[in-house]
Amino acid sequence: MKLRKLMAGFLAASTALSLAACSSGNDSSAGSGSSAADSSANSGANSSANSGADTSSSADSLAASGEKLTLTVLTHRTDRKDDGTLAEMTKSFEEANNCTVVYQAFTDYSTDVPTMMNTTDYGDVLMIPDTVKLEDLSNFFEPLGTYDEMNAKYMWADKKMYDNTVYGIAHLGTIAGGICYNKRIWKEAGITELPKTPADFVADLKLIAEKTDAIPYYTNFANADWTLVQWASLVNSASGSKTYETDILTSKRDLFVPGDAYYEVYKLMFDIFKDPTLHEEDPATSDWEGCKKAINDGKIATMVMGSWAVSQFKEAGENPDDIGYMPAPFSVNGKQYAESTADYCLGVNKNRSDEIKELGKKYITWFVEESGFAQKEGSVCALRGSAMPDYLTDFADCEFFVTETAPEGLVGVWDAINNDSEVGTWQGDAANFKIQIAEAAFAGEGDDKFESIIADANSKWNTTRDANADFQAYIEANG
Amino acid sequence: MAAETVKQKRTFIQWIRGYTGQKYITTVLFLLVPLVLLILFTLIPAVNMGIFSFQKRDQLGVSVEWVGLDNYVRLFTDSSYMSTFKNSIYYLVGSFVQQGLALFIATLLCSKIKFANVFKGVLFFPYMMNGVAVSLIFRRFFQKGDGITNTEGTLNSILMMFGADPVKWLSNPDIVNFCLVFASIWRYIGFDIIMYIGAIQSISPDVYEAADLDGANAWQRFWYIIFPSIRPIVALQLILAIKGAVSVFEIPYIITGGRNGTSTFVIKTIETAFQYQKIGLASAMAIVLLAIILVITGIQKALFRERK
Repeated sequence: MKLRKLMAGFLAASTALSLAACSSGNDSSAGSGSSAADSSANSGANSSANSGADTSSSADSLAASGEKLTLTVLTHRTDRKDDGTLAEMTKSFEEANNCTVVYQAFTDYSTDVPTMMNTTDYGDVLMIPDTVKLEDLSNFFEPLGTYDEMNAKYMWADKKMYDNTVYGIAHLGTIAGGICYNKRIWKEAGITELPKTPADFVADLKLIAEKTDAIPYYTNFANADWTLVQWASLVNSASGSKTYETDILTSKRDLFVPGDAYYEVYKLMFDIFKDPTLHEEDPATSDWEGCKKAINDGKIATMVMGSWAVSQFKEAGENPDDIGYMPAPFSVNGKQYAESTADYCLGVNKNRSDEIKELGKKYITWFVEESGFAQKEGSVCALRGSAMPDYLTDFADCEFFVTETAPEGLVGVWDAINNDSEVGTWQGDAANFKIQIAEAAFAGEGDDKFESIIADANSKWNTTRDANADFQAYIEANG
Repeated sequence: MAAETVKQKRTFIQWIRGYTGQKYITTVLFLLVPLVLLILFTLIPAVNMGIFSFQKRDQLGVSVEWVGLDNYVRLFTDSSYMSTFKNSIYYLVGSFVQQGLALFIATLLCSKIKFANVFKGVLFFPYMMNGVAVSLIFRRFFQKGDGITNTEGTLNSILMMFGADPVKWLSNPDIVNFCLVFASIWRYIGFDIIMYIGAIQSISPDVYEAADLDGANAWQRFWYIIFPSIRPIVALQLILAIKGAVSVFEIPYIITGGRNGTSTFVIKTIETAFQYQKIGLASAMAIVLLAIILVITGIQKALFRERK
């Protein structure tokens, strides 16, 4: 009898426990993929007493009792959290504000965090996922200031802005239209001047194939879902226009027009990929981790990657000085352009106590202005007047520009058309035009195949654009 | 009146303390855990998915719009969605090969061979491994090395030992699907073998004895005794194979990412949901897949009833 009672009690308790585990599963398990276990281990160094209390609800209650505040920051930089850089860097902020900062890092940030945002538990400060539409920002994030205030101080202030209110500041920025290359190999091939046109670029790669043992261009096709997307960041720079995508919309022209940036960038990709001597032997089994060391050692000459990759390539081997970054090989009236763009923007969760929100804003200001994170990463700091990173020497003759946001009425229209049509200018799904172009090139298909792929993308784009109500309303209102 | 309720209450307490009451409490409590988990993680999400399939919504669930049957209309009119089912044919054909092979191995393992249990263990092992791990193994297995960033994979290394040239297994659109099907067979065959062994061992030894007396050879034993006895299991396995073929996911997703013409319906669903932010459309795709599997299950049930 007693045993049976005990058993029933145990069962009831275990049920309750498992239920509790379910309900808390929402906030902790989403992060557990990369962080739950190691976040407490890492933060243990600087927050021994309340390192376990890294959910923000308990942070609020701590605040009420007058103890140290805990600020939970969600980040995509698993590498910088794991090597302790973030914790080390944050010590000064923690001391100055008598608080504890806990970092939760996500390997798959862009899918995990939006899922968490179905609840109110998505950290106190976080990198604003790009899946949040601009018009929805106010549902999730605390306003940081008006555009005029923010723009005076920071670059890219309009990236996470709606109705003149800024919700996020870029944690760092990059020079988008660039190509990573190994200076030594390019020199060994006898190239003295960097290419300014796609034809020059292909000719240089051929020279490298002839004169060196290095792979001229590494496609990284095994990870094509993001590596080919890097090509998309060349487009704006190649156009040299601050309003390139807006112009495509307002002039109602095709996405791919010969002579125009979208066409020329992907034509260059097709031309490189179709020549088996210019890239690795088997793109389907390329190796991203392996290629970092290979470009450092000079076994790979060139890769299209954002400037974020420069520091990773430099760190991967013994020849950091060989890694260079060149402007996109496209010229408009003989001049090269480079777009500087914001990376993830930091925002404050609006479902928090005022105290936490204030601390969160302080944290963002500190992170951007004082932490030196952007400089350490070799990136561009959002604070106006900061020094440019030193690897940009090849960009001396280049004109930098920041793309303007779409005019009122067209905000979000590009993305809506892009997603509805599934053309996917920024996507790398298996049916995407970038992947199709690469596959056609690898299979040795001719230019007619390239033309038919882009014609298909054009027609999908145009049909969806003409059916888009916001677009039609804008065209009617503005002629 | 008051006395009556007291009396009733007492009988209830007595009942609960009695054997039947305790039996019910234990049963209910034991059932509660799996049921709660089932409802929380399967039924509620499934119902939500059904509702989402009539909506236009993104991943964050703000600005939801009701669109009626639009998602389903798009699914069946835009060929880019349903056409991904064509790769299922590779897996379907592969699963027939897999069944034949499994039946053959199971028959062998049920005859008097040495170390039968070791072989059973070895053959069943891949099924217990995580699908992601299996996919990573085969990604390495089929690798074509360039000697710079990576080395030759297992298969090419073996081929080269025999003097053959290395092959780009995953780059060639003509063979890549066969490579993936091979990985799939390797992973799932263990389960089939165990099912067949179970079925074969349930045949009474008397029948074999009688067959031996009549001088039946191994083939006759298989065709006239084993096969008729396990026919229901064969039918079940084939139905499961079809279900597996329409919902292939992790092997192509991890090995090739669905590129080079290896995409499947489930990969397309994931891309629709998370790359293009069309949770509504993706939910409709999931519902369509569910419907297909329900239909197949219905056919399976009907066939089994006939046998009885």
